[in-house]
Amino acid sequence: MRNGFVVGLMLICGLSISPGADAQDAIFATGHDEAAEGPYTKAQASRFLTQATFGPTLTEIDRLYRMGYNAWLNEQFAATTSQQLPFLDQLIAQAVAAGQPIEVWQDKRQEIWWRNVLTGNDQLRQRMAFALSQILVISDQNGSLEGNPTTMAHFYDGLASGAFGNYRALLENITLHPSMGHYLSMFKNRKTDAAQNIRPDENYAREIMQLFSIGLVQLNPNGTPVDGNAGQAGIQTVPSYDQTVIAGFAKVFTGWSYSTCSPPVAPESSPSFNWWHWEYCPSGPDTQDWRSHPGWRTALKPWGEGTAFGDIYHESAGSKQLLNYAGVTLPNGVLPAGGTARNNLTAALNNVFNHPNVGPFLSRLLIQRFTTSNPSPAYVGRVAAVFANNGSGVRGDLRAVVRAILMDTEARSPAPTNGGKLREPLLRVTQLWRALDARSIDGRIREGWAEQYGAQAIQRSPTVFNFFLPNYQLPGEVATLGLFSPEFQITTDTYITRLSNEIGGKVYWAWWGNPDLGTWDPVQVNLNRDLALATQPAELVERYNLLFLNGRMSNTMRNLLITHINDITNNNSGSGWQRFRVQDALWLTLTSPEYVVEK
Amino acid sequence: MSILRRREFLHKTLCAAAGSAAFTSMFAKMELAQAATTGGIRRLEGDDYRALVCIYLYGGNDCFNMVVPRDAGHATYLATRGSLAVPQNQLLAINPTSGPSNGGQYGLHPVMTGARDMFEAGRMAIVANAGPLVRPTNKTLYQQAGTLLPAQLFSHSDQSVLWQTPRADSSARTGWGGRLADIFASTNPNQVLSMNVSLDGENVFQAGVSVSPYFMSSDGVEQIWPINTNGANCNGPEGWNRRRCLTFQALQTQTYGHAFERAYVNKTQATIATSAQVAAAIANYPSNDAVFQPFWTRNGLTWSATNPPELPRLAQQLLMIARVIRARGASQLNMQRQLFFAAIGGFDTHDNQLADHPGLLRDLSQSVQAFYDVLNSPTFALGSSVTTFTASEFGRTLTNNGDGTDHGWGGHHLVWGNAVNGRRIFGRMPNLQANNNPDDTGWGGQIIPTISADQYAATLATWYGLSDIDRADIFPNLQFMTGPMMAISGPNLGFMT
Repeated sequence: MRNGFVVGLMLICGLSISPGADAQDAIFATGHDEAAEGPYTKAQASRFLTQATFGPTLTEIDRLYRMGYNAWLNEQFAATTSQQLPFLDQLIAQAVAAGQPIEVWQDKRQEIWWRNVLTGNDQLRQRMAFALSQILVISDQNGSLEGNPTTMAHFYDGLASGAFGNYRALLENITLHPSMGHYLSMFKNRKTDAAQNIRPDENYAREIMQLFSIGLVQLNPNGTPVDGNAGQAGIQTVPSYDQTVIAGFAKVFTGWSYSTCSPPVAPESSPSFNWWHWEYCPSGPDTQDWRSHPGWRTALKPWGEGTAFGDIYHESAGSKQLLNYAGVTLPNGVLPAGGTARNNLTAALNNVFNHPNVGPFLSRLLIQRFTTSNPSPAYVGRVAAVFANNGSGVRGDLRAVVRAILMDTEARSPAPTNGGKLREPLLRVTQLWRALDARSIDGRIREGWAEQYGAQAIQRSPTVFNFFLPNYQLPGEVATLGLFSPEFQITTDTYITRLSNEIGGKVYWAWWGNPDLGTWDPVQVNLNRDLALATQPAELVERYNLLFLNGRMSNTMRNLLITHINDITNNNSGSGWQRFRVQDALWLTLTSPEYVVEK
Repeated sequence: MSILRRREFLHKTLCAAAGSAAFTSMFAKMELAQAATTGGIRRLEGDDYRALVCIYLYGGNDCFNMVVPRDAGHATYLATRGSLAVPQNQLLAINPTSGPSNGGQYGLHPVMTGARDMFEAGRMAIVANAGPLVRPTNKTLYQQAGTLLPAQLFSHSDQSVLWQTPRADSSARTGWGGRLADIFASTNPNQVLSMNVSLDGENVFQAGVSVSPYFMSSDGVEQIWPINTNGANCNGPEGWNRRRCLTFQALQTQTYGHAFERAYVNKTQATIATSAQVAAAIANYPSNDAVFQPFWTRNGLTWSATNPPELPRLAQQLLMIARVIRARGASQLNMQRQLFFAAIGGFDTHDNQLADHPGLLRDLSQSVQAFYDVLNSPTFALGSSVTTFTASEFGRTLTNNGDGTDHGWGGHHLVWGNAVNGRRIFGRMPNLQANNNPDDTGWGGQIIPTISADQYAATLATWYGLSDIDRADIFPNLQFMTGPMMAISGPNLGFMT
């Protein structure tokens, strides 16, 4: 589309078509700006904010409408990162200073996530971190992490600060993070020991490829699977790696432990070899609470690195078969024998990162988190092309990628048939709270167990496969049409009911000024602004149409809601009738099929 | 009407009547009328209740520490397993009347007293070394290029799907339980509640082409309170929600242009109808009824009608299943065929296996024993009508990664119930040596299955009432599971009476 436009422009202007790289970039930049103009209506602004933030507000809709997409994006790219760890550290410090037990558990990590996504100015960065947290998955549903909210907060802060950086750096950051090390057992993974029948753990080797980078099958640049046999009907997928490659990566990912271990003092063969410093390496001093331990918030380190004895438990010996693909740097994808743990890791991550699958694979996953469950191959291809080259020859620039996702013509034009996605449960709650300026009286957010009503809470998925699979197809019409519907995987009877009820609780009970709350201080929606419209049902519905349905409410729905609101009167509902009008308008909108499916 | 003809009829009627709102009820009535007049469908005669309960062990159960050699073979096991091995003198001896086919004496993990007792009482069987296969496979074939193998062996998500479909040749997302329900659901007099009930949310096993499973939790059923009037059609006695309920329903019943909107509406409507019905039924059988005591006592907890201690996760799920089963009667849920899914996680023991694995096996062993105590009580008398079985994406590697095991392939499975040919081990036990193991893939003791997941599932489905003709439809790869590479050749492993 843009190419056609650019070529057309050049023909009109009589330019000869052989621009150098710089000229081409300039032209593309112009084309980009052209596509990025807008929004032209507040409804368009609202839709964009639904995709790029944790929910539109009236203020932000106005602001975006005035400043335009590009200025807004640039502001977001420059915004200071809201972090989680300082909040948890502060709670720990307060408890220590007061001589109190440290009651800092996973609910506090949930709390600071909510606070950041509800009130942080770095909305797009937080939204990107949220997306990344569902791809580069760690979860507190894990024995090693459940009691350790600080290391998970540190991990999440890494996703947020790397949200607009390079994916190669992010991949290394998460690979060496102690949380990930424990979650996918690369931590203390050790080299082959034939005598003890020990061989390297393959967990991380497998998942970094399957989930974090290239996926199971070879992809075309537009994300469709490569057909291994064009002569046969249907697509014969081609595996992107096999067991030899997993075994190769498993060997690379050996020898790493906390950065805080005492180093080896003798070679492995020596009687005075201090293996116990590997086996029982502390993450920090005994005198300090484990949640403050430096080992949990510093990158893993090869045990023995920098000593005369080398990386003791790294499998340096033997060559390792890594990924082999067109243009691979390592000859035939083979990492030669030798090398240090760190150098081999660098080579292996480069080998993964430069695989041609990464762009289309990651682009599709990110598109699904931002705009649509079913992007066209062309959309995936355009974003993947930006992943491959941000316009300045850089591969893996996530800032360029997220811009491409949001500014793509498929994201900015009205959604095609069956475009868009089912809203994630967490986003349904944040959208309500942001639109209604919700807060608790003391400023705390007691929302530590959202998975109980939404089957989703930040970094609390049941497995490394996230809350739902990118390829999940709801049985029935959705599957028959060949559509992917990830969020439907957790839209079970139980969670339809619970989430509808929870939104009910947040609308009908947890409102600012409700005397029945007593000492209970949940996050409360502020109904006062909209109470002013209680006697103007059409305006009230139009406001929620803008905030929640991006101006696309059907006439049928509008009329049903207006009739319903008009039917609530002092006579049949008592003195709270105006509030009931607002509450019913909210709840009925937020549980309506038109809202639940974001288009 | 034979099943085949009934299915043809079903197919034609479906095509003819697609879109007709009256279709469901019309068909249900025809089905009942037909059953009443011809008696042609064996499974509808009398009070012939049958249920299958799948217990899914998420993560890949290390079955090689669950069923362990207790004879001279223990030395090989010990040499391979090293620090992870269960000591020989701690194993709970089992004395099968037959099997395994290659001999040897075996014991169960020391925490599994309930499973040991049920095995010895003839109410549990062990199925050795089962897993997904496309064709019979051995080490030579595995290592040869061109052999048909299940896609993405050793991957959690994929092998989990293959266990549940089981279509190792395909990426289909319907499970054999779902396909069974596509056939059998119409035989339930109750056409509102799905034949398939999950206590652990989404699973492939119960997803059919036309049947979607109903999800509840071990806490029971919840209803959407802002529209709940405690009655159908927004017209129950609690009228203060009536107007909101009517508007909610009016918004639901519009014609929607987006497939996701239509799907959301369908799911919401099914939820509302079903939850009302199930809630009313199970309320008659509260969990503090003394008949459910074994769930506490078998788990070493003290039962109390007023303030019972919290049960292990699987016990909670099986207790709720028992309550639903108890409400099966004609005046309540009116179900004749049901298929339940329960699940516990945590079996992916890459680390800390010695600390983490026994607690999971204990919950499995003791909670299922309690379930059968309850089912065999006079109140239920359903021990022969309910069969319970395990599934798990893979067995684990024989070898030790330091403090755990990694992803394997074949594994042992347990089947419980009075209808089981119990006190037997079906199939062949694999070689457990670490090196040059003829039964592994060549990779650290990933054992090649000698029974296919298709055979295992088909044996259960046949007991459930599946005809030979339909069996070939549901398990298309079953026909290939013959010959000397299979521990048991053919479509029926024989572990069900």
